[in-house]
Formats: sequence, C-alpha cells, structure tokens
Amino acid sequence: MTVASALSRRDLVRAAAQRSLTRRRITGRLAQALCAVAAVASVAPLVALLYYTISRGAQVLSWSFLVNAPTPPGIPGGGISTAITGSAEIVGLALVIAIPIALLAALFLFERSGRLAAALRFSADVLAGVPSIIIGIFAYALLVLPLHAFSNLAAAFALAVLMLPIMIRADEEAMRTIALDLWEAGIALGARRGRVARSVVLRGALPDLVTGNLLAIARAVGETAPLLFTLATPVAAMTLLIYTDGTQAFPIAQETAWGTALVLLAFVLLLSVAAKIAAWRISRRAR
Amino acid sequence: MSSDTTGVLPREGVAVSGVRAALLQKRTRLGEHAYTVVRWGGAAVFAAVVVALLISVAGSSSQALTRSGVGFLWSGTWNPAAGEYGAGILVVGTLLTTAVAMVIVVPIGLGTAAFLSELAPGWLAGPLSTLIGLLAAVPSIVVGLWGLIVLTPIFANQVEPFLASMPLLGWLFRGEAYGPSVLLASVVLAVMTLPTMVALSRTALAAVPVADREAALALGATRWQAVRKAVIPAARSGIQAAVTLAVGRAMGESIAVAMVIGNRPALPTSLTAPGATLGSAIVNQFAEASPGLGTSSVIALGAVLLLLTVAVNAGGQALLRSGGGHRAGTAGALR
Repeated sequence: MTVASALSRRDLVRAAAQRSLTRRRITGRLAQALCAVAAVASVAPLVALLYYTISRGAQVLSWSFLVNAPTPPGIPGGGISTAITGSAEIVGLALVIAIPIALLAALFLFERSGRLAAALRFSADVLAGVPSIIIGIFAYALLVLPLHAFSNLAAAFALAVLMLPIMIRADEEAMRTIALDLWEAGIALGARRGRVARSVVLRGALPDLVTGNLLAIARAVGETAPLLFTLATPVAAMTLLIYTDGTQAFPIAQETAWGTALVLLAFVLLLSVAAKIAAWRISRRAR
Repeated sequence: MSSDTTGVLPREGVAVSGVRAALLQKRTRLGEHAYTVVRWGGAAVFAAVVVALLISVAGSSSQALTRSGVGFLWSGTWNPAAGEYGAGILVVGTLLTTAVAMVIVVPIGLGTAAFLSELAPGWLAGPLSTLIGLLAAVPSIVVGLWGLIVLTPIFANQVEPFLASMPLLGWLFRGEAYGPSVLLASVVLAVMTLPTMVALSRTALAAVPVADREAALALGATRWQAVRKAVIPAARSGIQAAVTLAVGRAMGESIAVAMVIGNRPALPTSLTAPGATLGSAIVNQFAEASPGLGTSSVIALGAVLLLLTVAVNAGGQALLRSGGGHRAGTAGALR
C-alpha cells in the first residue's frame, strides 16, 4: 500500500464521517424542533383554557354574584352563595373524616413493613386510580339508598373516600422524610411510640404533611361526579352548578357557569400554589 | 424496615420507688396500647372502606348481572325503554376515546417531557414545568365546560370539516360534523391527561443517570441521539407507567366526557360521530334510570368500569414498582 492511497482512504473515511455527522445533526435539529413544538402544543390549550375561563368569568364576577343566593331561572341578580358555602361545608366535613384516618393509616404504614403494609399500600395506590364516579356510586349505595335522602354528609363521605388514598400515600411519604434514626432515638430515650409519633414524626413531617393534604383538598374541591349521586340540588356545590348551568343553552345559565368556574379555579390554583410554596420552603430549608 | 423494632417497650429498671414505677409502667402500657389500637384502627377503617366499596358496587349491580349474565359485558344494546341493558357498545366507546386520546397525548407528552428534561435551557424548563404542574390541578369540570362552549363550535365549523377533507385519513372523520363527537371527547381527555403524562415521564427521564448521557456523547452521539438511544430506553418503565396511569385516568373520566361526546349509545361510524362511554352513560342514565333493574344496570356499568380501571392501574403500579429506584420520585411527581 502506498502512502498516497492510504491518504486518499483517510480522506474517504473522513468525508463519510462528515456526511454521517451532518445527517445526524440535521435529524437532531429536526427532532429537537419537534420536541419544542410538542411543548408549545401541550402548553397552548391549557393556557387558552385558563385565559378563556378568566376572561369569561371576570365579566360575571361581582360582589353580589358571590354573596347572593341563586334565583329561579329568568330572574336576574342571582348569585352562587349557596354553592360556595355548600362546597366549603362538604369539603370541610370530608376533611374532618379523612385527615385523622389518613394520618393514622400512614403511621401504621410508617411503623410497619411486611405483607400487610404492602397490601395496604397497594390498595391505596389502586384506590387512588378508581374513577370518582364509582366512588359516587359507592356513597349512593351505602348512604343515599338506605336512608332515602341525598345529603351533604353522603357527599362529604364520597369526597373523603376519594381523598383517603391520596392523603395516606402523601402522609407516608412525608413521614419517610423523617430519618429513621430520629424515630429510633426517640424510642431509645424511653418515650412511648405514641409520644414519638406525636413529637418526632408528626412534628418533623408537618410541612410535608401540609403540602400533601393541600393537594388532596384541591383535588376534592374540583370533583363533580361523586356529588352527582349524593346531592339533591345543583346549587348545593360549585362543581355541580357548573355542570348543570353549563349544559343549558341559555346565555344567563352559561354566564353563571363561567363565573362559578372562575371562582372554583381561583380556589384550586390558590391551594396548589400554597402547596408549591410550602414544598419550596421545605427544599430551601433542607439545603 | 421497622419490623425489627416492633415490640420495643420502654423499660423502667431505674431507681424509681416501687409504687410509682408500677403506676408509671401501667400508664405507659395503657398509652402504648391506646396508640396501637388507634393506629391499627386507622388502617382497619381504610381497609374496610376498600372492601365495602367492592362489595357495595358488586352487590348493587348483581340484579343486572344475574339477569344478563356475563353477556352484559359484550351485549351490544343499551335501550332502557325496551328493558335491554348491555355494556358492549359503551366498553367500545370507552376504549375508542381513550385510544384516540393516547394517540394525541403520548407523542406530545413525551416530546414535551424530553424538551423539558433534556433539551430546554434551565430558565425555560423550570417555569414551564411549574406551569404544567399547576395546570394538572385544573378541575375536569372546567376543562369540560371549555370543551363544550368553546371547542364545540370550532370543531363543528372548522376542525371536523377540515379533517374530513384530508386525503386518505379523511374516511376516519367522514359524515356530518356536529361538534360533539368521539374526537372532541378524546381531545378534552387529552388536555386533561397531558399534565400527568408530562410530569411522570419527565421525572422518569430525569432519573436516568447523567453518566448514561455522557457515555453516549463520548461515543460521538449527537445530543438527540443520546436522548433517543440512551435516555429514553433507560426510562422506559417509567414512561410506560406514565402512559398506563394516563390511560386509567382517561377511561375513568365521566363528567367532562358526558359534556362533549354527544351521548349516543351506538357504535360510532366515524370519529366525528357522537358516541358514549361507560362514564358518560352513567352520568346521563343515572337520574332517569327506573328503580330496580334500571339503577342496577347503571351501577353494573360502574362495576365494568371499575374492573377496567383497576386492571389498568394495577398494571401501572406494577410497572412503577419494577422501576425500582425511580419509584419514590415518580410517586412524588404524581402528587
């Protein structure tokens, strides 16, 4: 092999590598552009939805809209006060049911390992994915049918069942951020387990517990399907009011739906932002 | 993890006078027992709720199921007026809307996740992720309202005629453009499940060790090749779990779908035709159902939906667990 042919072979290889690189760079650029387009495509409808709800809702929103009771169809001046207080009452009641049970179940999972805990954890994860409408059916079959009455209590029970698995998993993850060492140190000091749970685990995990529970509340406030089966009248909760008024053809009803949607959205986003801020402060403190 | 410490009780062997020691020990034991009882109580209440849910849904649907037998699952007609109840068409409708929604969500969600985790500069990726995370909290009823009032006319007048006029693909969208349709329901489902899909797959991508990317780059791969050949394959189980959970969520959504699908319990002839899903049928039929067999049949639809979603979610959870180390992170993103 002569020096010249070796050189020309090197040029050939180099040219081929160059071509391959150019081709790969172009593919890469194209793919990266497509990913950027996908990002725009996923943010755009969500932003449009937010923008539309805010602009349509703001036209309706006023002080009297918030504090007036609903009026019969066709009579102006109606508000959504019963829906707001109804939602607050139902969610408040649901929290009273769900928070203590979730905390205790999470403590159980925190202190135990083994098959029983694993089974419980798994059922919490699966229950978290059960459609909310089925939880509504459950509350209907368990509370509404036997008592022959739609009630806020049945609605609260449905929302509590909905929140339970989310809260249990969030609470347990929050407790896991407390080092096992601390728990063991508490036990080694001779404290009772209940005392350690209260003073070490719950106190230490408090900010994380708040974050997790706030997100569960945000989820529950926005639920409609469980209320469909447990409440007698749509003006008893915000989400139900949006559903019934939004599906009517009258402009006035639709305006009410948009106004209520804005109030609901503001409430839910506020809860999520509060949770985000709590989480952010935790991560800052940890650093 | 904590099983090795079960049974640890504080021991008072120190210099405390006999009576006090006995009292203290008794009190301690009592408190300890009380704590054990409430802790077990919390777990037991939760377990009872899960069992009660299964029993009551199964029990309430038994009337319909004993009448139609297993045929309820695939029997095609849903005609309460004639006393004919079958879930077949609704199961098809549920699977169809979910599938179309996933055709939209998976590429867009994965592309967005790859963009946020691998390609975008930090100043853009951070705020965008936060925004998408916040949008995950938007209640589905608000998405449904937006779909019904804003998207319906747009779909009826622009989107559906345009899709029908496309060459080759047009036959998928043939027929009258009403607005409310399987397609619109799928789009609404896509908007609703997108934030979850993005958050979960982004976490899965971010959990891939930096060394994997560096190894690919050191071998001469371009940035995109590193993502495509090293990062995405390594995050596969996490991405599969994200898709599975999005499928579960899309199948179970009822109210928003009921608002935009047109609610016609018949086999859709094209994607722009109105249809119905299990969830939307429950929403629409429940109030009108005649007591007894009617109500029982609607609840039986719920039982079928429960079976479908539990199967999908259990699969998703198994995938998340098989992901090993990524599990905690993925669970965090779910919240």
